Amino acid sequence: MTADAGRGDADRSDAEAGGGLGSRELAAAAAIALAVVLATAAFPMLVDARAAYEIPVERQAGAGDLAEPTGDAWESVETVSVPLSSSGAAVPGGSDATVDSAGVAAARTDERLYLRLSWDDGTANTSTDSLRAFADAAAVQLPVSTEKQPPIAMGSADDRVNVWYWNGADGTESLLAGGAGSTTRLPESAVEATATHTGDRWAVVFSRSLASDRANVTDVDDGEDVNAAFAVWEGSNDERSGQKAASEWYYLSLGPDDGGAPYETVLWAIAGAAVVFTTLVTVEGVRRTRGE
Amino acid sequence: MSTDDTVSRTDETARQTEDGDVPLAEGVDHQIAMVMDLNKCIGCQTCTIACKTNWTESGGREYMYWNNVETKPGAGYPRDWEELGGGWDEDGQSRTPGELPEKEEYGRAWEFNHEAIMYEGSDEPLRPMENADWGPNWDEDEGAGEYPNSYYFYLPRICNHCTHPSCVEACPRSAIYKREEDGIVLVDQDRCRGYRYCVEGCPYKKVFYNAQTKTSEKCIFCYPRIEGEGPEGEVRPPSCAEDCPPQLRHVGFLDDEEGPIHKLVNEYEVALRLHPEYRTEPNVYYIPPYAPPQTSESGETVDANRIPRNYLEELFGPAVESALNTITREREKAERGEESELMEILSTVNNDDQYRLEVFDDDG
Repeated sequence: MTADAGRGDADRSDAEAGGGLGSRELAAAAAIALAVVLATAAFPMLVDARAAYEIPVERQAGAGDLAEPTGDAWESVETVSVPLSSSGAAVPGGSDATVDSAGVAAARTDERLYLRLSWDDGTANTSTDSLRAFADAAAVQLPVSTEKQPPIAMGSADDRVNVWYWNGADGTESLLAGGAGSTTRLPESAVEATATHTGDRWAVVFSRSLASDRANVTDVDDGEDVNAAFAVWEGSNDERSGQKAASEWYYLSLGPDDGGAPYETVLWAIAGAAVVFTTLVTVEGVRRTRGE
Repeated sequence: MSTDDTVSRTDETARQTEDGDVPLAEGVDHQIAMVMDLNKCIGCQTCTIACKTNWTESGGREYMYWNNVETKPGAGYPRDWEELGGGWDEDGQSRTPGELPEKEEYGRAWEFNHEAIMYEGSDEPLRPMENADWGPNWDEDEGAGEYPNSYYFYLPRICNHCTHPSCVEACPRSAIYKREEDGIVLVDQDRCRGYRYCVEGCPYKKVFYNAQTKTSEKCIFCYPRIEGEGPEGEVRPPSCAEDCPPQLRHVGFLDDEEGPIHKLVNEYEVALRLHPEYRTEPNVYYIPPYAPPQTSESGETVDANRIPRNYLEELFGPAVESALNTITREREKAERGEESELMEILSTVNNDDQYRLEVFDDDG
């Protein structure tokens, strides 16, 4: 049967042949099937591009100006709004943190991981040079063992955490902690940070080489997702130590396929095919019932 | 020796447990202590300078006086420190919030016009080059009361190396701690991250923030000296004590039951804690001050206390009454030519009696 071979005849002959689907219906069904399959394959990307607690990590060919908080390279990178709340730590003001959310964006090259934190703060507190001055600060917490999710408050003795810490007065530190109060500065930190305060907002880019062969330092180059939590201190509110606005655990999407989970696409395609099949069966059933 | 479980913390008068042991902080083998006889202090600040030249001359410590001598009644150092909170609440279990003093309350290190006067021939008076309106001892010798019955006395203050230190409790990192061998309270400079909770938490405001090192610092009771690492490799008392012209301090261990500290504090109960209501249980004790009696307008001596007892009670608690009575009674015994061990301890000029620092050296 060719397209030009008289559609009416074909229809008729199909109908005569026992009430089966005509070529027009087939074409329509095929179009619907294609649309549904495409739609369902695309659906997760459109509607559910990011799983809860996921920080997508965009792979970039070169570092460009990723190290700059206002760098152009960040324009294409999705920023996740991460809610923050008081840590409730047992220090004075432990339930009195100021900042309620931070934007977190992540990018990587073959060698380095870049994390950009940004948050609203009308006052840039960049000094600890007087008795009553406390500096604005931010931190990223990672499990030392990437397969683990340590207790959120500075990990535990068995599940230690690395902390990438920056404050407006003293720059960057790499820390190790095994529970609240155990934070210890690691010598020769490989973490770099650059910060800018523009308008009423801080933006800080942390970066570090992905791989680490040092003991007690998170090695993030194993192609696995890595848990991460975030915290911000408002210096003008005397925030320091456990008086901070902290997030829950999120994860940096560094897994095998940065474009999304492939099994999801397959599942959605199967679901789409099932929808088409069910529709065709239903249409055919209706036609037969009508005696066409 | 530590017997905290046998003594009630809330009983301020509990100086000894029932079996005679001196209550010490948990985990502390012995407790270093100091008794200062306020009747001997002449306000010369030699202790202050001895401390300063040893420990706080530079490097962000310029404003610090780990040892200071302030006039009482007076605002003290830092200004109005008694109103800044800290310490423990009534049950001794919860800390009360404290405040960080303003830098100005400690006083600034003034720049003087030395250059102009010494080298440029200026005939201006020697004075601070900027407006000076507060500093340590700004209110020196002002005191209180009306002529001819005005009164004041000097109060030397160092860290009290408390048995129940609220500064230690305040630190979320255990960077400030009470060391095991003698209960000296120290800040581990490697652990400290400059949070300043200890500065807030100390009701005596004897922990200081160093804005250069970004850590907190405090009196170390000259521990290298009492460990024999001082001058000539000898065991020596802290500089503030040894350099004191009137030798008003006794230094030793609270739990050295043969020593003068134990006798003054626990036996005669004449050496008292400053502001016991802060409940940190200081280990620096004071012999409360006497003053000449009041005089009338015509210059006649009147049988009335020049320093009001209620003021001394504000500083040293209700035990001040019986402490002064005991001293009066013992002094009268000595005046009658009778033997008074208390008067001998308080009036000794023998340094070996004043400073007993090696009694526990054989403990291993």
